[in-house]
Amino acid sequence: MKEKRINPRKLSAVKDFSCVLPVLIFLAVFTYYPIVELLRISFTDWNLLNDTWQYVGLKNWTWLFAGSGTKYLWNSLKVTVLYSIGELSITLIGGMIFALIFNRMTNSFAAMRAIIFMPKYVAMSSAAVVFLWILNTDSGIFNYLLSLVGIKAVDWLGDRNMALISVLMLTGWRCIGYGMMVYLSAMMGIATDYYEAAALDGANAVQRFFKITLPMLSPTTLFLFVTTFLSSMKVFQSVDILTQGGPYRSTEVFVYNIYRYAMVDFRMDRASTVGIFFFILLLIVTVATMKISNGNVTYDS
Amino acid sequence: MSVQAAANTNARNESAKRKRKIMAGIQWALAIIVLIIIVFPIYWMLVSSVKSQEEILLAIPTLWPKEFHFENYINVLNRGNFAKYYWNTSVMTAGILIAQVVTGIFAGYGFSKGKFKGQGLCFIIVLGALMIPLQVTFIPIYIMMANWGMSDTFLGLILPEAVSPYYIFMLRQTFMSIDDSYIEAARMDGLGRVGIITRILAPMCKSTLFTVTLVTFTNGWNAYFWPKIIAKGESRRVLTVGLAYLKNTFAGGESMNNHEIMAGAVLAVVPVIILFFIFQKYMLTGYSKAAMK
Repeated sequence: MKEKRINPRKLSAVKDFSCVLPVLIFLAVFTYYPIVELLRISFTDWNLLNDTWQYVGLKNWTWLFAGSGTKYLWNSLKVTVLYSIGELSITLIGGMIFALIFNRMTNSFAAMRAIIFMPKYVAMSSAAVVFLWILNTDSGIFNYLLSLVGIKAVDWLGDRNMALISVLMLTGWRCIGYGMMVYLSAMMGIATDYYEAAALDGANAVQRFFKITLPMLSPTTLFLFVTTFLSSMKVFQSVDILTQGGPYRSTEVFVYNIYRYAMVDFRMDRASTVGIFFFILLLIVTVATMKISNGNVTYDS
Repeated sequence: MSVQAAANTNARNESAKRKRKIMAGIQWALAIIVLIIIVFPIYWMLVSSVKSQEEILLAIPTLWPKEFHFENYINVLNRGNFAKYYWNTSVMTAGILIAQVVTGIFAGYGFSKGKFKGQGLCFIIVLGALMIPLQVTFIPIYIMMANWGMSDTFLGLILPEAVSPYYIFMLRQTFMSIDDSYIEAARMDGLGRVGIITRILAPMCKSTLFTVTLVTFTNGWNAYFWPKIIAKGESRRVLTVGLAYLKNTFAGGESMNNHEIMAGAVLAVVPVIILFFIFQKYMLTGYSKAAMK
């Protein structure tokens, strides 16, 4: 009889565990297993157009680092870094400037702030086709406006020097209001005593900004930096709709590079190899940014 | 002497007041300029969507349509198959929403109020998943789903998005802030786990729950990367992907049909924008709330 009785505490633990079990199984199948599988595929010669495949050792890896894939790898690395720098500058610097402009606690400014933030909720694909239309070389309004001040028509999406800038215009439009909102909510948290004390000491507005506002906002800046950096590395949709990585791969960011190998060339082996490399890169960036965030930040104590 | 001093301070106050007024004027002017720039793409999308084809191709663009052509919308819904895309997006979003809310609430409970061996390790497994995005793992998942016969199905669209580590994390943080005494009391009254979650925790964390669910909804509605990969055919194409293909759908060059493409763009964003204006209070904080904790 004694063995049949179940310890109630144990039963409770089992029930609690069963609350999280579905999630764990899911993550095992849809997140952790695919990473292992990705690594395995990178050692094969799996082409979707062929019926069979076999292990080929490090062939894909030599292709990636010392073969025909190398120059595209560095290209997409360069494009991704440039894109990230662009998105970071817009979100951090632009967001800060916008926060200063809209830092007025009246109803009309609250309404304006909401409108500035709205693009974040406009689906990227809608925003992208709108920008395609605005930036259209022949009948787009942007070139028309430029022609009014005497600037010749620019081929925004077809010129390899302009394409990335065009993608960044779209990104900036959607992200700048987000940066503003995050900064503003942090600014409201700064105690006014600091400003009053500084004003008594005769500090002007510019000095107050650099001596009080900016340092006090450094945790916010860091947060924005880390999250924006990581998400900017994964950019895909805007590039896919605006330029498809072109012209001449001048906007081929990392994810687009992987996507092209897998879904256009059907080279699963190569796509997986680049994918693993990309994953390692993301890990390095994550760990590095976490390391930084444990140092150099001013907190209000 | 004292009269003069008073006059002095008065003058100083006057000039300070004037200075403040000028500053406010500059602030207003800058705000209006910025607002116009940010609103313009939305305005241009709306205006272009009701223009005729001739008007859209004019050498000098018109800022206000000469005639309103609302039939552009009908054309997109019928010829562009947008009615079907709407349905697909709705079903996909609903599926993702239900799956993420249910798994998220239970897991959030398990990780905050539950007690079991290995809880910390299990939570690290969840957090670790945040570092492995779909953009990395999509190849094996795509192969797996294709082998299961799930390409071009709703299940294929929904399943890889059914669990969100972010959602779980958020709910865990919120549930932790609820005092254990409430749960003890509920347990005394004979409530089981489901009762505690649905009657105590969920109502007490209503606003956070609502905010993160709104974020989940918009992310689902606006999803593009995975739907594009798994639903390549027409039958289960979603709005975002359909819109991107729209420029190839109509015959003729792409700039020829921008009025209809803009109509499609409007149709795709309308539900989320309506939600945005209704639930502004929640939506404005939605994205920033997560990381502030």
